[in-house]
Amino acid sequence: MKKIFQSTLILVLVLILLTAGCGKTATPSPATTGTNTNDFETILKEARGTSVSFYGWGGDDSRNKWLDTVVAPELKKKYDVTLKRVPMDIDQILSKLSGEKQAGTTNGSVDIIWINGENFYSAKENGYLYGPFTQKLPNYLKYIDANAAEMKYDFAYPIEGLEAPYSKAQMVMINDSAVTPETPKNTAELLEYAKKYKGKVTYPALPDFTGSAFVRNIICDIVGYEQFATMKADKETVKQAIMPAIEYLKELNKYLWNEGKTFPATSAQVNNMFADGELALNMSYEPYSVATSIAKGTYKSTARSFLFDKGMIGNTNYMAIAQNSPNKSGAMVVINEILSAEIQASQFSELKLLPVVDYNKLSDTEKKLFDSVTTGTGTIAQSTLLSKRIPEMPAKLVPIIEQIWQEEVVGK
Amino acid sequence: MNNKSIFLKLLIMTFIFSVLSPLVVIAVWSISGRWSWPRILPESLSLRGVNELFGGYSGAMQVLGSSIVLSLIVALFAVIIGTMTARALVLYDFHGKQLIKFGTILPIIIPGTVFAMGVHVLLIKMGLADTAAGVIIVHLICALPYVIKIMTDITAAFGNRLEEQAGVLGATPRQIMTNVTLPSLMPGLISSASMAYIMSFSQYFLTLIIGGGNVKTFSVMMVPYLQSGDRTIAAAYSMVFVCSSLIVFVVFEKAVKKIGKDESGYFFA
Amino acid sequence: MRKLKLAPYILVLPVALLSLLFIAGIINGLIQSFGIIPSLGLTVPTLQYYIEIFRRPELLASIGITLYISIVSSLAAAVIGVLLCAILVTTGMAKGKIMQIVKVPILIPHTVVALFVIMIFSQSGLLARVLFELGLISSQESFPSLLYTSHGMGIIFAYIWKEVPFVAFFLVSVMANISTTLGEAAENLGASKWKTFINITLPLCMPAIKNAFLIVFAYSLGAYELPFLLGATAPKTLPIQAFIEYTHPDLLHRPYAMALNGILFFISFVIVLLYFKVLQQDVGKNGGLHE
Repeated sequence: MKKIFQSTLILVLVLILLTAGCGKTATPSPATTGTNTNDFETILKEARGTSVSFYGWGGDDSRNKWLDTVVAPELKKKYDVTLKRVPMDIDQILSKLSGEKQAGTTNGSVDIIWINGENFYSAKENGYLYGPFTQKLPNYLKYIDANAAEMKYDFAYPIEGLEAPYSKAQMVMINDSAVTPETPKNTAELLEYAKKYKGKVTYPALPDFTGSAFVRNIICDIVGYEQFATMKADKETVKQAIMPAIEYLKELNKYLWNEGKTFPATSAQVNNMFADGELALNMSYEPYSVATSIAKGTYKSTARSFLFDKGMIGNTNYMAIAQNSPNKSGAMVVINEILSAEIQASQFSELKLLPVVDYNKLSDTEKKLFDSVTTGTGTIAQSTLLSKRIPEMPAKLVPIIEQIWQEEVVGK
Repeated sequence: MNNKSIFLKLLIMTFIFSVLSPLVVIAVWSISGRWSWPRILPESLSLRGVNELFGGYSGAMQVLGSSIVLSLIVALFAVIIGTMTARALVLYDFHGKQLIKFGTILPIIIPGTVFAMGVHVLLIKMGLADTAAGVIIVHLICALPYVIKIMTDITAAFGNRLEEQAGVLGATPRQIMTNVTLPSLMPGLISSASMAYIMSFSQYFLTLIIGGGNVKTFSVMMVPYLQSGDRTIAAAYSMVFVCSSLIVFVVFEKAVKKIGKDESGYFFA
Repeated sequence: MRKLKLAPYILVLPVALLSLLFIAGIINGLIQSFGIIPSLGLTVPTLQYYIEIFRRPELLASIGITLYISIVSSLAAAVIGVLLCAILVTTGMAKGKIMQIVKVPILIPHTVVALFVIMIFSQSGLLARVLFELGLISSQESFPSLLYTSHGMGIIFAYIWKEVPFVAFFLVSVMANISTTLGEAAENLGASKWKTFINITLPLCMPAIKNAFLIVFAYSLGAYELPFLLGATAPKTLPIQAFIEYTHPDLLHRPYAMALNGILFFISFVIVLLYFKVLQQDVGKNGGLHE
C-alpha cells in the first residue's frame, strides 16, 4: 500500500513539474529599441513577424468579429503582425498590471489596452502605461486633430500622448415610436413622460457606466456643465452643485419602475427590459445601437434614438500601451493601423461607431469612404450628434456623484 | 403503497420539469431574434448565436477543446490528491490532522477575489502566472475541497475492514487496491471527478487573473457575453457549455465502466 | 505499525502544499486590507480602511441581508436536497439516467441561472406571459414583483434551483452505499423502508448532510453574482460591496475591497469554527462506520 502511494505521489510531482515547463510559451522578446526612435520605418521593421496582444472588454460580438476578421488579417497582410485579441474586463487588466508591477515583471503579456476615463486616470497615475507614443504614429499626426479637447483630455484629465483614440461614443435616448410617440427634449419633458408612462421608465443603478452617464447628463441639463471642469473633488462641494438635479431625481422616482425603490443592476438588463417591452425608454452610450439592434432583430423597426436639446454627454475611448509590454513596436504598428482612414471607415460602416479621425484632414477619396456609410434606421446624423455634444466631467468627480446618488436618491 | 409511489413519481416529475424547463427556455433563446411581451414563443429567429460558436471565426470550438482537456487534467489530479487526503484523514491519526481538515474547507469560504489577488503576485514570482500549469494549480485548489469532502464521506462509510480481511486472506497490497478499495470507492471517485471537472470548467475569475489572458478557456470567452445581456449569444454559449459537459460525463462513465467492473450499478447507466 | 506512521504524512503532502499556497495567497490578500500595497505606493499599515467601513451606516444592513439570504437558501436547499436524494436512492432511480439530469444545474454557471430566473419570473417573463394568455392577469404590473426586492425571493429561488441538485449529487454516493449495505440488512431483519430510512440511513448520513449544508452555505456567503443581478439596489450584500470596491477604477480602493472581504472572511471563519465544534462531536463518536 505504502509503495503504491509513494509511487503515485512521485508520479504526480513529476507531472506537475513537467507541465510547469510546458505551460510557458517561449516568446522571444523582440528588441524594443524601436521605442527609442521616432523613425516609424524602424518600428515597422521590428514589428515584422511578431505577435501583439489586444486586451479589452469581450462582450460585444460584433466588435470581436470585426477585430478578428477585418483588422487582424489586414495587419497580417500588410505588416506580418499577428493580432491576438484577449477578452478581459478593464478592472481585471488593471489588477493584472498591478500584480505584475508588484512582482517586478519587466516583460509582461499585455501590449495594447482598450481604456478610457477613470481607468485611464488610474493606470496613468500608477505608472502602468508606456509613452508618450502618439507622436511617433504617422496616422496620428496625419488624421487626428491634436488640439481637439477630446484628444488632449480624457474625462478632463491630460492625456499627454499616453493613449491614442479608438472610437467615439455619445449618449442617446431610445424609445419606440409605435409605443410612445413622444421624445422628451429636456428633463422637464422627461418628468412628464415618466408620469404618462408610469412604471415604464428607469435607468441602470449607479455605478453602472451607462446609468452613471445618464445621471451626469441629467445634472448637466439642469445645472449646466461648465462649472464641473474645474470643480474641487470634494463631496460637499459637488453635492451643493448638483443638489437641484438630486431633487429632480427624487421627484422622478415616484413615477419610475418599482417607484425608484430599486433599479436594474446593469445597462444590459435595462436594454433587455426595453427590448421585451417592460420599459418604454432606454438609453445607450452607443449612438447607433438602435440601427445595429434593429439589424440584429432585437428591436422593432419602429425604434428610434433622440437627444436632449442642451446636448448629450460624449466621450472617446482609447488604446494605450502597457509599461511592461513585451512588444511596444508591434503595439504601435497596430494602433497606427487602427487610426488609418480605411480602418476607421470600416469601423464606422461595420460597427456604426463614430470615427475619431478629423474629417477635415481626410483626402477627398477618403472622405467618400465615410460619406457612403448609412447609419441606418432610427438614427441621428453624425453632424447633428456632434453639434449636441457635452464633454465629460473630470474623472475624480464621477465616483463622488455615484456615491451621492446611492445615498440621496435610491429608495427616497 | 400505490398512492405513495404515485406521489413520489409526481415529486420526481416536478423536479425534472423544474430542471429541464429553464434549459428549454435557454435553448429557445439561443436561436431567437426577438422575444418580447406578451409572446409565448419568439417573434423572430436568428442564427447569430450558432454562427458565433460554429462559424469558425471566433475560435470557440478550439477553445472548447483545450478547455475540456485542461479541466480533465484538473479532475484527474484532484481525484488522486483528494482520495489520498481523504484516506489519511479517515483512517489515520497524525499530527496536524485538524489543521489539514480545516485547511481543506477554506477555499470554499474565501471569496475568489481575495485568493486571486493574493496568490497572483506569488505565482508571478514562481513563474507560474500566465501559464496553463498555474491555472491548473489554482483550479485544483478550488476543486479539492469538494473532492476531499466526497471522498472522506465515502471512505468513512466504507471503512477499511474489508481491506484488512482481504489482507488476512492473503491478498497482496496491489490486489487489495484493485479488487477491493477502488471498486468500493468508485461511485465517490466518479462524483468527485465530475465535481472537480465542473469547478474547473466554470472557473472564470481565477482563470482570468492567473492565466492572464494567455490561457483562454471556454468560460473566459462565454462570461463577457453573459454580462453583456445579449441573450441570444449568451444562451448559445450556455447550451454548448452544458451539452459538452454532459457529453464528457457520459463518455467518461462509459470508459470507466469498460475498465472497471461495478456490480452496484450506480452511475453506470 | 511503526512503518505505517509515515503513510498519512505522505498522503497529505500534496494537499498540504496546495493549502500552504492558498493560505499564503489569503494572507497576501488580507495584508492589502491593512493598506499595504507596494505597487500603489501604500506601505504603511493602517486600520483606516476598516474604520471607515465600520462607520458606513449600511454595514449592518449588508451583513444582515447576506446572512439572511445564505441561511434561508442553504437550509431550504439542504432539506429539499436530502429529500430528493432519499427518493432517488430508495426507489432505485439513483442508478438511472436521472442522475444526468441532476447534474445539469450543477453545470450551469450562476450568471446563466440569473438570466433565466429573469426570463421566467420577471414581470415580463414567461410565467407572467402564460398567466396573461390565460387571462389571469391583465398587464405586466399585475404580476407580483418577485425579483429585485429586499425579500430576495428571486435570489433564493435561484440558489435553491442550483443547490438542491448539488446536495443530492453530493450525498448520493454515501446514501446509496449505506442504503445497500446496512439499509438492506435492516430490511431483511423486518424493518419497513420508511423506518429504515429514518433510523438508520438518515442518521448515518448526517455528517455528510452537514458537510453539504456547510459547503452550500459557505459558498453563498461569499458569492456576489446572483444577489448582484437579482437583488435590490439597497441593501447590497457584503460580497457585492467588496466587488464594487474591487472593480473601482481608482485602484486606491483596493484596500476597501480587501477589508470588506476581511470582514466577510471573519464572519465565515467564526461560523465554520462553531460548526466544526458541533461536527467534531459527531466524528468523535464514530470516526467511520467500522467502529
